Amino acid sequence: MDFKQIKNIVSSACAAHGIEEYEVTYTVGESISAETYIHDISAFSSGESAQIYFRCIVDGHMGYASTSLFEEDEIADLVSRAADNARAIENNDTVVIFKGSETYQKTTAPDPCVVDAGELKNKALELQSKTYAYDDSVVDGTQSVAMSFRDETYMYNSHGLELSNRVGMTGVYVAAVVNKDGEARDNFEFAEGINGKDFDELPKKAVDGALNKIGASEVDTGKYNIVIDGAQMRSLLSAFSPAFSAKNALLGMSMLAGKEGEKIASDIVTITDDAMREGCPIQTPFDDEGVATYKKNVVENGVLKTLLYNLTTAIKTGKETTANGRRGGNISPYNFCICAGQDTQESLFEKAGDGIYVTGVKGLHAGANAITGDFSVESEGFLIKDGKKAGPVKSFTVAGNFFKLLMEIDSLGNEVKWGIPGGFTVFGCPDTLIKGMSVAGK
Amino acid sequence: MISRVLLEDVLAAAMSTGADFAEVYAEKTRNNGIRFLDGKIDTINDTVVSGVGIRAFIGTRTVYATTTDLTRSGLIRCAKAVADALGESKAEVSIHLTERIFPNIHPVKIVPTTADIKTRTDLLKDACVTAQNYDEKIKQVMGNLASTDHNILIANSEGLYTTDRHVRTRIACSAVASNGTENQSGSASPGRGMGLEMFEFIDPKEVGRKAAEQALVNLRADYCPAGQMPVAIENGFGGVIFHEACGHSLEATSVGTGTSQMAGKMGQKIANEKVTAIDDGTIPGAWGSVNIDDEGHVTQRNVLIENGVLKSYMIDRLGSRRMGMEMTGNGRRESFMYEPTSRMTNTFIANGPDKNEDIIASIEYGLYAKSMGGGSVNPLTGEFNFSVSEGYIVREGKICEPVRGASLVGTGSQILMDIDMVGQNLETAQGMCGSSSGSVPTDVGQPLIRVSKITVGGR
Repeated sequence: MDFKQIKNIVSSACAAHGIEEYEVTYTVGESISAETYIHDISAFSSGESAQIYFRCIVDGHMGYASTSLFEEDEIADLVSRAADNARAIENNDTVVIFKGSETYQKTTAPDPCVVDAGELKNKALELQSKTYAYDDSVVDGTQSVAMSFRDETYMYNSHGLELSNRVGMTGVYVAAVVNKDGEARDNFEFAEGINGKDFDELPKKAVDGALNKIGASEVDTGKYNIVIDGAQMRSLLSAFSPAFSAKNALLGMSMLAGKEGEKIASDIVTITDDAMREGCPIQTPFDDEGVATYKKNVVENGVLKTLLYNLTTAIKTGKETTANGRRGGNISPYNFCICAGQDTQESLFEKAGDGIYVTGVKGLHAGANAITGDFSVESEGFLIKDGKKAGPVKSFTVAGNFFKLLMEIDSLGNEVKWGIPGGFTVFGCPDTLIKGMSVAGK
Repeated sequence: MISRVLLEDVLAAAMSTGADFAEVYAEKTRNNGIRFLDGKIDTINDTVVSGVGIRAFIGTRTVYATTTDLTRSGLIRCAKAVADALGESKAEVSIHLTERIFPNIHPVKIVPTTADIKTRTDLLKDACVTAQNYDEKIKQVMGNLASTDHNILIANSEGLYTTDRHVRTRIACSAVASNGTENQSGSASPGRGMGLEMFEFIDPKEVGRKAAEQALVNLRADYCPAGQMPVAIENGFGGVIFHEACGHSLEATSVGTGTSQMAGKMGQKIANEKVTAIDDGTIPGAWGSVNIDDEGHVTQRNVLIENGVLKSYMIDRLGSRRMGMEMTGNGRRESFMYEPTSRMTNTFIANGPDKNEDIIASIEYGLYAKSMGGGSVNPLTGEFNFSVSEGYIVREGKICEPVRGASLVGTGSQILMDIDMVGQNLETAQGMCGSSSGSVPTDVGQPLIRVSKITVGGR
């Protein structure tokens, strides 16, 4: 069944139900991945997926339904289920099916294609053997994985708006396990693509990362100057990103409510959201409501310029949508990052003097309260002594409040470390120095 | 769903290049979620997930492929993709499937999506409005009534052909309390492997009250002091400590590849002798129960640790091959999009010898973790962390002022030894556990326990 057939079934069903405003989105994807164990491909998977999302306005309310069962009756049934759901909605939000933006940006990422299965397997095996060869301490349990995916989205609505987009990515990761002096440690590293410098350096990066954790000591409870690695800082940003949603602000569930135009972060902090980030394989020219996306500063030199809006929250507050609408009336960012600062990592360590360089945080899904900003997370990293990186430390927690932390950012590194692009949203941050944070250790 | 004859052909195609085992997993699941927000029914999501996953083995090598194309040509294409990726030899295989019907120990009375919407929205409102009206400091209430009607079909080259239906219902309520300058939250989210008859056992009003009370307690709580101290962890979701600190390390996923601290420790003492822990997928109507696992294996009651001694791992089909041990009915997955792996079902620490009041009375200075949030663990090192969503300081054997923002950090092997008192009020609570085969419903549980010493993160 193709999108044209789906559109026809949906349009007829809408006509039969007297539904005038509706939208149908069809996503279809393809993915493959190859996993290794010791020196063999232990698992290979390939997937085809497809889903139809439908929404419509009935009695001034939005109803939703979706399916991956591609049968004519089921697709027609989507319409009546969504209509029934709309009738049960009680909120007073103004909902709209969007007529379309004037222009939409063109993606600059190369047209995505799924890599050949044989090549993908070979790349996974190559990584695995290089990882084992890199150091004698590498033990079984070490895993190299290569994967590739492509997703296509087609949208059509009752105003005649038709949009489509294609995204995809190929990448590899190594989860290295080392055993040295009776102590086992692991480390995970990811690289985009299956060729080039990042790919070649992955085994070394993964194994060194694990080896560097061997012999970690515990730290005393107290206040420390902390350099948070960009990869960990972006996890914090991710955990607290719901605070930037205008929907959460309107509901009183964001500490940033009513703060637009006010200073919420240290002067050196600028946070941008760019759906079309150059170099990112996942570029999104339109949001789930069909609105053209654009690059914006959410925080500029410490001042909150705007929250993130969809159509409903924009109408409610008399603002323009920032094209951050997601399915189900939700809001989320795209490439959301704290922009790079001036300092090299070495100069951040120098500024910290004595402290801790945090290279791992865990449990943010439970240890962070997005509403209050409070967090307390298990961490690992390295001591900073006399302005230089020293021995590994583990099993301590770093605690604080994210919104206070934003105000207290002392210095930022000169490189943004981006997360793994997967879905719509990816976070990025530079290494970040914050002075006097609470650490619980022994 | 799919005819037996077609399944036989699909399995034969999947094995045509030398596989020693093949399996087809088909599902049709209807997920429904009603969201309450800001005093009103806000959104209803209704999703049908339908598709097929085909897996084949040669030894411990597996290939897995999925499709949403359920036509004969779509399924055969998918099976051939599996065969092509797995081997190069040629094999003539003929499969004969025999239908097996396993006893249904979780019969469902009212499948939620068959009840009218108003019945369901009323149940949700009952919880949320109770929370809203509980105290004037409650400023926002969010709620969700989620149900799943999961229909699966499993056929494999051993001749198994069976179907099953899992229906689950869960109500969640979270409340935000504010004193004007600060917000704090509280939540409750019970669920069962049942339909709407779940509400014969669970009072929605009680769910709302719990969420509101917890938010109010946290609003008057000060930050938890940091350091090492004895901690008493309450029953119910307190069992997340065992789930994270030990359960994951007993899954074949990590044991079978040697990346678990528990590998090779069968028969050894790994916990305090007061600790007996069980994974039981057969508890009628429980959140993590299923008649058969997602590989078609009947679930069972597995004693994992008995009086401190390691007795069993949780083993799926691949793990069974890797480890040379029997399957334990723990092969699970979120949907056809995932290859199954070893997962927990309902996992809990059994009642022990200590009286609950003695546990609190034994603590000179420490933390009483009345309610736990989630957490995570590295199975290789056993390092874990989890958050305390409602906690109190204990002084001279008495529960005193509330504290917030605490987290517990340690390693699984250490904390198992340090559980030195186990109480008698076993209760379970519901969670969604995320791992390589997606998010699956699991129960955690325990009675009140004492951990003699653990790092408490706070400030």
